[in-house]
Amino acid sequence: MALEKHDKDKENSGGGRPVAEKGEHIVARHLIEDDNIKEEKNLVIDGVDVSGRWNTFIISRVDSDFDRSFFEEIKKTVAGSRINRCWQCGMCTASCTVTPLYRRFNPRAFIYMMQLGNLKELKKYIDVAWRCVGCYKCSQRCPKQVNPAEMMEALALVIKKYFPEEVKTKLKLDEEVKKIYEDMIIGHGRLDLAKLHTSAMQKSGRTKELLGKIERDTIFKMAKDGRAFSILRLGKPHNWSRSKEAIENYLRKLNTIENGEAGV
Amino acid sequence: MDKLKENQAAYYPGCALLTIDRAYNNSSKLVSKKMGIELVEIPDYNCCGIGEMKSKGAASMYMPLRNMMLAKNRLGSKNLVMACSVCYHEFSRSIARVKENQNELSAVNEIFKEAGEFNEEFIPDGEARHILEFLYNEKGVEEVKKNVVKPLKGLKVAPYYGCLYSRPSMYTFTDKKPKMDNSERPRFMHEFLEALGAETVFYGNEVQCCGGRNVVQDEETSFALCSQTISKAKKAGADVIALICPKCAGALDVNQPKIVEKFGKDSELPIVYLTQLMALAFGFSKKEAEFGDMISEPLKVLNEKGF
Repeated sequence: MALEKHDKDKENSGGGRPVAEKGEHIVARHLIEDDNIKEEKNLVIDGVDVSGRWNTFIISRVDSDFDRSFFEEIKKTVAGSRINRCWQCGMCTASCTVTPLYRRFNPRAFIYMMQLGNLKELKKYIDVAWRCVGCYKCSQRCPKQVNPAEMMEALALVIKKYFPEEVKTKLKLDEEVKKIYEDMIIGHGRLDLAKLHTSAMQKSGRTKELLGKIERDTIFKMAKDGRAFSILRLGKPHNWSRSKEAIENYLRKLNTIENGEAGV
Repeated sequence: MDKLKENQAAYYPGCALLTIDRAYNNSSKLVSKKMGIELVEIPDYNCCGIGEMKSKGAASMYMPLRNMMLAKNRLGSKNLVMACSVCYHEFSRSIARVKENQNELSAVNEIFKEAGEFNEEFIPDGEARHILEFLYNEKGVEEVKKNVVKPLKGLKVAPYYGCLYSRPSMYTFTDKKPKMDNSERPRFMHEFLEALGAETVFYGNEVQCCGGRNVVQDEETSFALCSQTISKAKKAGADVIALICPKCAGALDVNQPKIVEKFGKDSELPIVYLTQLMALAFGFSKKEAEFGDMISEPLKVLNEKGF
């Protein structure tokens, strides 16, 4: 996936503007559509003329279709168990590693949408929702210990459950790589990095690159100093099949959205 | 298996360190031994989950905690030392979570019971220790200074901690006893490097992310982040970047030819592990420290500087 260009991003974010020069990547944006904002030219409230000063208002609206079951669903998961604590301060977005690269990636807004159960809004961000690099800056700085980094895992689960079609198209590679990881970790108990790399390249249709100079040099180097063969000797833990069965059983029995696809 | 002696510590190698990052594994062992602690690998280890299991509920905690059980059961050690920051994160996360949350602890114990490998229940009374803070706290900077036979005079090093060594403190408790590093501005690596006689440079990206987690699915993010880190370090005058995490090595070292191809020569700088530099200063040869394993060719600059 190519990094988003600033211009293109501007279009998508509904006229987002940088808050300040220093925090150039922090984009002021609201969840309110432009149509819902009303600017009054001459306005008198309770006998006070507020023209030209406090003249911008949101047209009053009733958001009644909050789906509380959705909130509970997330709260039940391990990753999203602290969603109720978030008070929307935005520290997560301000400290985010990914936001400067993908300006539409906004953890605070994602958590807000999850709190409200606003699937319609969430759907617009599916393409960037899985870009979290898991650096945990947000969780470190969150004043309420919401753990936004893991909230993004919960977000992935939500998207997987409610938008399976989009996952198959927009997040195909992410989904496939995750599957490779999970199969390897649960299935074998250990991680074969070489196999991970080659199968991921294969899945993304870049097998040809493996024959390119850079990849070839690396593979040749690792074969020469014997590291490539140590991967073959990695093996499995003894009796891993018992652990594997227990994990698979646990995942099958789960009655939360974590059960979506048990990776088995 | 015999229980541990006083100068031994239970050690979790992890998948990367046993295979392509053997340089880190071997040099960690060399350095620890020289400083008076022998690292004993736990037998039969399994993968920690490397952050890809977090959406799987308690299963993500079973993965690392099984290793804690092994350490206690086979080696009689409550604590477990590891060199990989990702493993360290997964272990501290699981321990911190089950300590706080009784439901999650019983869910993990349920899996343990079903697997039937151990006769006892898991009790979260141990700790995960990162090799950097472990050596710092157990042996200290003085012990490093004492062992230096070949000071790294004139070598400018950019210390790179990455994300998960110090963050998040809700899991790693970096600011608290017994670790006592700073979770926003860690300093142990700085102190170690200075004890070796090397010069550390300030470049501002010490605790930035390398994008290593998405390096397979989303190369471009990782390349952009790595290129920023490397070029900043280079601009600050660093000869090498010192790492303490194999995932950072995957992003900064193994992928460096691709990053250079995309972002130009500014993003070219040799990458080494901290423990490799320590081994070198402790009198081990460059071959023993396995500098040749790194893709970014630190040997060139080390030879130039006459080490």
